[in-house]
Amino acid sequence: MLKEISRRRFLGTGSAALAGTAIGAFGFDGVEDALAASIRPFKLAQTSETRNTCPYCSVGCGIIMYSKGADKAAGKLGTISFIDGDPDHPTNKGTLCPKGSGLLDFVNAETRTKYPMVRKPGSDKWERVTWDYALDRIARLMKDDRDANFIAKNQDGTTVNRWLSTGFLAASATTNETAWMTYKVVRSTGMLVFDNQARV
Amino acid sequence: MSSPVAPQFQPVHIGDAAEPPLAVAPDPASLFARRAARFRDLVPDHPLGPYLAFLGDLAGAQAAVVADLPPPSLPAAEQMERAYEHGMAPIARASVEVDAAMLDTLSRLFDAAAGMDMPEASAAALAGVRAASPDEMRQMIGNVLEDALPAHELAEHVFVAAGLQVHFARLAASLAAERLSSVADGACPACGGPPVASEVVGWSGAHGTRFVSCATCATRWHVVRIKCVACSSTKGIRYSHVEGTADTIKAECCDACGCYLKIFHTATDPKLDPVADDVASAGLDLMVREEGYRRAGFNVFLAGF
Repeated sequence: MLKEISRRRFLGTGSAALAGTAIGAFGFDGVEDALAASIRPFKLAQTSETRNTCPYCSVGCGIIMYSKGADKAAGKLGTISFIDGDPDHPTNKGTLCPKGSGLLDFVNAETRTKYPMVRKPGSDKWERVTWDYALDRIARLMKDDRDANFIAKNQDGTTVNRWLSTGFLAASATTNETAWMTYKVVRSTGMLVFDNQARV
Repeated sequence: MSSPVAPQFQPVHIGDAAEPPLAVAPDPASLFARRAARFRDLVPDHPLGPYLAFLGDLAGAQAAVVADLPPPSLPAAEQMERAYEHGMAPIARASVEVDAAMLDTLSRLFDAAAGMDMPEASAAALAGVRAASPDEMRQMIGNVLEDALPAHELAEHVFVAAGLQVHFARLAASLAAERLSSVADGACPACGGPPVASEVVGWSGAHGTRFVSCATCATRWHVVRIKCVACSSTKGIRYSHVEGTADTIKAECCDACGCYLKIFHTATDPKLDPVADDVASAGLDLMVREEGYRRAGFNVFLAGF
């Protein structure tokens, strides 16, 4: 760790008595008071910069998200004001493609999906549903479809265990472990129409 | 008409890929002149105005002497080679010899500074260092290089430090910057000294990357952004700036070690100078300190501040 050369060290080596600053030692009396007075009307603004991975495609570009207004103590989330390529990231070295450059609008989009929604058969609008409802319903429909359309053997009688009537598209910006898990779960049902990060 | 030839693959340059070098050597010829100009730019309406004007003149004196000094003597070639090979600082402050060029640099700087307009205390300190015996001068040089500035002779030592900035910038300029390697967290790869501040640069080929400036030799070295320069933690990094002012000067505060180092966005405002703007933004130090953070950067012109 960097050796701290602070007032403490400075005092430690000084001859007893008053330890001043370089400003005072050079004879600029009063400017430090002027400085202290000048900051009184101001307060500090806090911002943060957070590393993340672009969620769009499998290239996995590094991004830096600039946000303000976050207050950890009050449990308040900040708002993201800018997103840029991460210049220290080995993949994109600070650059972003047009999709990545539009991430800010994607994050702040009013039409962004923030919770499970369903458009029921015959309906023309989306309704918000609970995660329990969504997961139960997806599982039910998948099970029914698989039961109806699962192909255990082909025409020659060879065991194939395939399920072709349902497909699965999983996210790109996932970890290796998530990709592995997704692959195992989906393939174990016999599903062939499947894509996620693990393919790349 | 379509071409019968299959299209060739060509990468599409959608941006300036950043491939920052580990270290960038200073250019003493322009460094101090630029700094002097920046100090003077900062003077109007600044609460530290008179002090900034004084430091502007001092940087001007540094710039004036840098041109025709005798070549500084680097440590022995064998020692330098060993440092390069094993990732050590080749001009480590403890190993640099007090040679004729160093003493000449100091005395020329003091002579150049003699014509400056300055308060009595400064003039007395300058007279003190001009009259110092070679032994006293060696003692002061030793103190400065150990970051042990005695309070009762602070101004004298800051004058000496200003001279050493010139000498070490010239030493650093003669190094093979591409052979330097990272020596320790928050230590200059050339001289092993502490940083003064860091900059997010707008250089072609390194756009948006962060370089930390050495307080002693002005070498700039690359440090990944959003990472504490003092302790290398990447957790709990926050940025503070004075509300209502340009956010090109921020304090990078680390909750892991409780230190902060200023970060200047020179990509946005190319006029910013790590030393001059560090002094001019001392108000930010006062405010960040109130929040309980300690200063990790060292600036001799703010010694004891």
